Amino acid sequence: MRDTFHRELERLDQDVVRMGALVEAAIEGATLALVEGSLERAKKVQDGDDEIDDLFIDMESRAMAMLAQQQPVAGDLRLIVTILRVVNDLERAGDLAYNIASVVTKDLDIVKLRKVSALVYELGHASRRLLAKALDAWAEKNLELACQMDELDDEIDELYERLFRELFELQSETTFDVAMNLVLVGRYFERIADHAVNLAERIRYFITGNEEHLG
Amino acid sequence: MNEPVFSVRDLSVTYGGNLALKGVTLDIMPREITAVIGPSGCGKSTFIRCLNRMNDLVPGAEVSGQALYHGEDIYGAGVDPVTVRRRIGMVFQRPNPFPKSIYDNVAFGPRISGFKGDLDELVERSLQRAALWDEVKNKLRKSALALSGGQQQRLCIARAIAVEPDVILMDEPASALDPIATVRIEDLMQELKKEYSIVIVTHNMQQAARVSDKTAFLYTEVNEETSARWGILVEFGETGHIFTRPSDKRTEDYVSGRFG
Repeated sequence: MRDTFHRELERLDQDVVRMGALVEAAIEGATLALVEGSLERAKKVQDGDDEIDDLFIDMESRAMAMLAQQQPVAGDLRLIVTILRVVNDLERAGDLAYNIASVVTKDLDIVKLRKVSALVYELGHASRRLLAKALDAWAEKNLELACQMDELDDEIDELYERLFRELFELQSETTFDVAMNLVLVGRYFERIADHAVNLAERIRYFITGNEEHLG
Repeated sequence: MNEPVFSVRDLSVTYGGNLALKGVTLDIMPREITAVIGPSGCGKSTFIRCLNRMNDLVPGAEVSGQALYHGEDIYGAGVDPVTVRRRIGMVFQRPNPFPKSIYDNVAFGPRISGFKGDLDELVERSLQRAALWDEVKNKLRKSALALSGGQQQRLCIARAIAVEPDVILMDEPASALDPIATVRIEDLMQELKKEYSIVIVTHNMQQAARVSDKTAFLYTEVNEETSARWGILVEFGETGHIFTRPSDKRTEDYVSGRFG
């Protein structure tokens, strides 16, 4: 019986959800900071990134210690390996939220570009929802849920494209600097969504043991 | 494709009428290490003792089904168990050298089987293969009992391979040894599998994971009414598969330490 080890592993498993919640909050904060032009919110997101990074380092070292000391096998091994990959995705998603928050400090004033600001909000919201869904699938180890990411991801790709078109049409009302930064923001959200899709695919690996190509 | 060394088909064993092992079917492939794991009393030792007819020595033991060795049933009529055991050597849990010199331990088998060649050369070669030669070459006439436990076990391996067997059965060969001696035996097994097929029973799952190519997981079934217990084969497959994504829930629970 390896009760102590299994309790430790369960705690690590739950910390994925905890870390995910922090990243989710960061995405939401960055989205709002951007559409409201709130430096205060942006600063909060930037400061919060340390907590995500600390948790990442802590979880990684606990997972490594378990590999070294417990020689996990079968489902336990797949879970630890999956956690090591998933925390990477979450940490990257957190960095992207940080990047988005950093754009706010450039004082773009996108609030005036109402159509664009609505799109940015939608993008932020959709990528956060995608991550939330992946985290639900993680918490429940729900294969079905983990297989339902594509629709939302397509929506995000579409929003990203619309943002492009919108910016193109608004050429006269905006500057090169603003447009470029907003394209970057769109790209960051789109990449956050990719990390969420990775997370879902890694859940599928954990459950089935079959490696799949990451989208 | 290689032909299997052993094709075990629906093999069952009873001791005095009580079922001990039920319906095992698997193939053992040449120059591979096959590990047999499972909780105490699941029939691991009973199983490998079938492969060289060691169970014949247990009063009341009966074997049914087939153990085909290169296609021939070793329980078939007219098969001499002594001949079987010459081809299929065995190493036990506790090193059991004869109270003789190191040299005589290794030379024992070849002598009684009428070996006519260069005995010195055979003894040296066997000790070389068992990774013991360098440690004992200057004291071949000394008593085997003066060796350390790990050395004694390697001597037993040298003794087993001196008769040029085809298969080596190992029944928990390292469980009485310290970690360093254990690692030496495990390394030695990797060398030996270049020439021999090895079947190892082990309590130590990490050891099975480290050394073997295939793993067989045996498990105990219990009849709730009579409390009778017998071993069954739950899962057999590539060791990498068994320890990363076993197909059966009982294998998963056992290898990850959830019971057993």
